[in-house]
Amino acid sequence: MLNFKINSNEIDKIGKFTKEEKYFRLKNLNHFNDIGFPNKRNEDWKFSDLKEIVSKNFNKLELKLEKSKKPKIDFIKDFEHNYIVIINGELTYSDFKYEEKDKIKLQPFINEDYSDSKKHNPLLNLNHALSDKGYFLDVKENYKFKKVLVIYHLFTEDLDENILNSKNKIKIGKNSELHFLEFTINESKKNFFNNVYEDIILEKSAALKSIYLQNDKSFGYFHKYSRNSLSSDSNYTSFIFPTGHKFNKLDLEFNLEGERSECNLQSASFLDDNVHQEVKTRVNHLFPNCKSYQKVKNVLNAESKGVYQGKIFVKDVAQKTDAYQLSKAILLSELSEFDSKPELEIYADDVKCSHGSTSGNLDKDSIYYLMTRGLTKKESTKLLVNGFLNEVVDSIKSNSIRNFVKNKLENQFINEY
Amino acid sequence: MLEIKDLNASINDKLILKGLNISIKPGELHAIMGPNGSGKSTLANVLSGKEGYNISGELNYLGKSLNEISIDERAQKGIFLAFQYPTEIPGVNTSNFLRTSLNKVRKAQGKKEIDALSFLKLIKEKTTELGMDEKMLTRQLNVGFSGGEKKKNEILQMKILDPNLIILDETDSGLDIDALRIVADGVNSSRDNKKSFLVITHYQRLLNFIKPDFVHVLSNGKIVKSGNKELAIQLEKTGYKGIN
Repeated sequence: MLNFKINSNEIDKIGKFTKEEKYFRLKNLNHFNDIGFPNKRNEDWKFSDLKEIVSKNFNKLELKLEKSKKPKIDFIKDFEHNYIVIINGELTYSDFKYEEKDKIKLQPFINEDYSDSKKHNPLLNLNHALSDKGYFLDVKENYKFKKVLVIYHLFTEDLDENILNSKNKIKIGKNSELHFLEFTINESKKNFFNNVYEDIILEKSAALKSIYLQNDKSFGYFHKYSRNSLSSDSNYTSFIFPTGHKFNKLDLEFNLEGERSECNLQSASFLDDNVHQEVKTRVNHLFPNCKSYQKVKNVLNAESKGVYQGKIFVKDVAQKTDAYQLSKAILLSELSEFDSKPELEIYADDVKCSHGSTSGNLDKDSIYYLMTRGLTKKESTKLLVNGFLNEVVDSIKSNSIRNFVKNKLENQFINEY
Repeated sequence: MLEIKDLNASINDKLILKGLNISIKPGELHAIMGPNGSGKSTLANVLSGKEGYNISGELNYLGKSLNEISIDERAQKGIFLAFQYPTEIPGVNTSNFLRTSLNKVRKAQGKKEIDALSFLKLIKEKTTELGMDEKMLTRQLNVGFSGGEKKKNEILQMKILDPNLIILDETDSGLDIDALRIVADGVNSSRDNKKSFLVITHYQRLLNFIKPDFVHVLSNGKIVKSGNKELAIQLEKTGYKGIN
């Protein structure tokens, strides 16, 4: 069993900190050292026993990482875009050639919020204690991006049982709009752990669209905690295609903090081998007249495991809330597993909240029908799985980006089946 | 074309077809009529190769046994089943599906895959022939199609795949008179001296539009009477009870 306790002098190795920040880091480090990686006794981790997963797959977790040489990035050619390049979690370079430079500020992230030192998610404590990289993107007021922004996340070949802790923040100013694609390129050959804290802030009437996609498979173990704050009349649409890592847990919190704010989350995954993936959401309706929509689709093959834990919380004042949540899973193998835990917690009386969850095998009649038209069983299955997942991809409005995503997904995952 | 001898078929230990015999030559159109539960749909399923049935007896197509041939191979060899209830398949584009299907069949028959342009031309020709709106093909396969649209889509697939043996399983059910005429015209215009048809139906009505060479009455898993189209007219008067 891997005993992963961290000496407090690791904090000094990161850099010199103010008294306040050092205290914040130390406190969080102690919390992590007390509990270690979360196990299934923790309700939030009941379907993803990370303690067991980490001790099974890691001999050590190395904090130190030599700076990589600037690797060559294979930039996307399918559509024009601005870009940011992040290497092993570190902001490396960027190009906003299509935009007005004075409307955008990009810098390495410096945390100035020392309020969060509660014992809740040990990985969050770990991140607070040790995070040493990341970026802060600030989009000023009244500015609409002309082209999409691609955030390239590159994981290099020299990663070997490293653990990376980074913090990222994106702020979209009043009346501004940004569309970005988070695109992960993997060159690593060995296990590593990537622990990310993300803060996304939408000011009044801001709009954000994001897509999360992997270019290739990795031996990465990913955890991301994302806190999304939406002010009044703001709108956030997020597409996530999280497949590709050995382990991936996305812990997404959406706070609807102003009237008429809306968030829309759609996810599609094809899980293979012994991949373990969890999407956990918590949508907090804190103000009246807000909307939230969640659709999570999973196809599970081989010995993969998928988890969806989705919670909708409606505060007493949040009247006229319109909240929707749906999880659909198809299991292609008897050894695969899908766990779903939808939850509603409602304190207002004039709301529309619905949720649904289905999981089962591929429809036999559909396979039969396709086979009577000359398709083999495998081709029929592929066509049906593609159709099931493409429903999410088809909601992407931009033609060039939709086709790009579609091709990536079909090449990587479906063709492996 | 098709030779069935002493065919028995059971599902979940329940015997449904009990020694069925039928022989269909190229160019012939046979109608099978029978009351509910007589085994009509089972016959269609067994011919298509659907799994789950326990089968004994001889099932020969073009002189070769179908026993070990899978559903998709049968389709590739030119057996086509038009479904009574075509399955709705979300997320699968009708036109893409048609092209995939056609190319599978063509490839299996040693023909070249059809290119996009020729395919579009073919689609245009066949949809016009059937009085179908081409836009229907941009929709998801059978999803939200009306009963009539679904059946027309089956006939369209039949036209495009150009099979040898066509089994129509209660294709007339749920159709209004106009749709029925279109479907029947679609069948009639496909008839030639090479293709064979097996038309399964409840009612004589369809046979006013599609003229059969032979009519068989299926009852309790067996053909109990065979004749020409006069038999269908007689059945309409006397009902199935009058046959035995």
